[in-house]
Amino acid sequence: MTTTTAAAPPRPRKAMDSLTQRYLVLIGLIVIASVGFSIANDNFYSLANLGILLRSIAVLFLVSMGMTFIMLTGGIDLSVGSNVAFSGGVGVITLTTTGSAPLGFAAAILAGMAIGAVNGVFIGRLRLSAFMVSLATFALARGLALVIYDANSINVSNTTFLWLGGQSWGSIPVVIPFVALVFVALSLVLYRSTFGRDVYAAGSNINTAFVLGRRPERTLVWVYVLSGALAGLSAIITVGRVSSGQPWTGLYLEFDAITAVILGGTSLFGGRGRLLGTILGVLLYGIIINGLVLTGTNPYLQSLIKGLILLGVVLLDTLVQRRQAQ
Amino acid sequence: MPDLSRLMREKNIIFVTLALCLVFYMISPRFLSLDNMSAISRQIVPIGLIALGQFFVVLSGNIDLSMGMGSVLFAIVLGVFFGMTGGVALGIVAVIVCSLALGFFNGMLVAKLKLPAFIVTLSMLFCAQGLSGLIIPRGQQIFLMGGFFRFVGAEKFMGLYWSFLFLVALFALAWVVYNHTRWGAAVIAVGNSEENARLAGVNVDRVKIGVFMFSALCSGFAGIMLSTRMGFVQPGLDGNGLLLDGIAAIIIGGTLILGGRGTIGGAFWGLLFIGIINNALNLLNVEDVWHQVFKGAVILAALGANWILWQSRQVEAH
Repeated sequence: MTTTTAAAPPRPRKAMDSLTQRYLVLIGLIVIASVGFSIANDNFYSLANLGILLRSIAVLFLVSMGMTFIMLTGGIDLSVGSNVAFSGGVGVITLTTTGSAPLGFAAAILAGMAIGAVNGVFIGRLRLSAFMVSLATFALARGLALVIYDANSINVSNTTFLWLGGQSWGSIPVVIPFVALVFVALSLVLYRSTFGRDVYAAGSNINTAFVLGRRPERTLVWVYVLSGALAGLSAIITVGRVSSGQPWTGLYLEFDAITAVILGGTSLFGGRGRLLGTILGVLLYGIIINGLVLTGTNPYLQSLIKGLILLGVVLLDTLVQRRQAQ
Repeated sequence: MPDLSRLMREKNIIFVTLALCLVFYMISPRFLSLDNMSAISRQIVPIGLIALGQFFVVLSGNIDLSMGMGSVLFAIVLGVFFGMTGGVALGIVAVIVCSLALGFFNGMLVAKLKLPAFIVTLSMLFCAQGLSGLIIPRGQQIFLMGGFFRFVGAEKFMGLYWSFLFLVALFALAWVVYNHTRWGAAVIAVGNSEENARLAGVNVDRVKIGVFMFSALCSGFAGIMLSTRMGFVQPGLDGNGLLLDGIAAIIIGGTLILGGRGTIGGAFWGLLFIGIINNALNLLNVEDVWHQVFKGAVILAALGANWILWQSRQVEAH
């Protein structure tokens, strides 16, 4: 009798998947952070400020989604911030010389994709390390931006070009539904297409992906091109938000994106993570950064805090994973 | 002539550097003047220190992105101690202690907790930047006057700057350590394969912590050199430019970025190459905005060239 009961397998308690757990924690932290900052600053919770907050982190949303694809393949892109400045410069110059907003849009996105393609070819085809290659393009793209702008900012008054980044419907900036649209589109790509499978495959085990004929080297090129295209889009939004193109825009944006993506639960080593996590990560990180700016924190203290957040999150993740593995 | 073509390929950086000198000389004869040469020798000192520290880190298969901003922070530490005591001895001790502590911290996180080096050092880059701006408020400077700063920054011995001689001595020391000590061999072993190194009895963690402590110490020295050359310290110094120049120097010098391969001599030629390019950009009145373009393009080109060399060696080996 007793043996049969002992042999019966204990009913498996349905364990919550660790990513879902993480998302719940993130949502909790987002609530706590926004309550904290709204106590510190009365204006924090007004609808207008919510619009301003979302608009100011719209670019971070886009860039971080690109970074998520890259980090899912186990790579990194340190050049996105410089790329936003560079592709914005190309877009603004095209706009001012031709006077056509669609041409300006196309030029900005193509320029972003071009830098992405350089990254992709060096990293994917030549198998060089991602941080080294993108550190070079980090300098190159910023340098090209400075050359294009001749180190000065250029004012933009074309209303079509400024529409995406600057226009609002009531208190909702146009850019918010746009970001949501991009999120849906990229989710479809990541979860419903073979390309998305290939992204996960390249990050989980690139050799297996290669043996299975999934051409991971080609996948790698395309994720960097995608990230470049999103940098181009971000450039258009940035120009629209401030009505001018500036050579130093997007400085250290890549750092914010990397932190937000890691915060969202995407593994640094590739193969694990979801776009939803990135959205939550950007929200939390954006609220913290926005709160620091609103409360007038010293910019140097802000960079110290940013550095500590990144280090803290990576440390915590590693320790938790170690414990789970044991 | 297989030997000459092999020499051209293996030691290409020497020929490229000499050819570059010739081109710049033809554009502007002032380039090869004694004055300009000694100016270059002084300009490359901080870059050279970064390159030397980074060389061992990269050799071990890691990277230290905190070196540039680290040296700005250490220059400020020196400045603050100088401002308080009026002497440099205590300041230099403080820089050495702080830099070794930073290196130890980086090394522990990378070796013991197995965190990726670029993430650890990237967050350290931001911490260093933040700290340097918190120690000295934005827009303020500390001026550094006195015997030590003049001596290191401007005094010469037999026609060569003391700072340059210090750099050369350090490179020579590094050459000996790299080629003739167990530690040098251990770093190469770790860079080639951590697993094999461990099986061969190398204490991998200690090697990693060692290279990060050395790179941080080098950035401490670079900070001191930076402060003597500028004559003042402030948080806005271009630490990232220094980092990029140092990395460019060792990649141009043929160091394999995946670790396990590279030569001190190559790193030194790469350093001269970067120094010459930087100097020529100024001498030929190239606009500032182009400088970063050149640096990025040079690193990319060097990465590509190293890759082609690597491929041709693979073909030769078969």
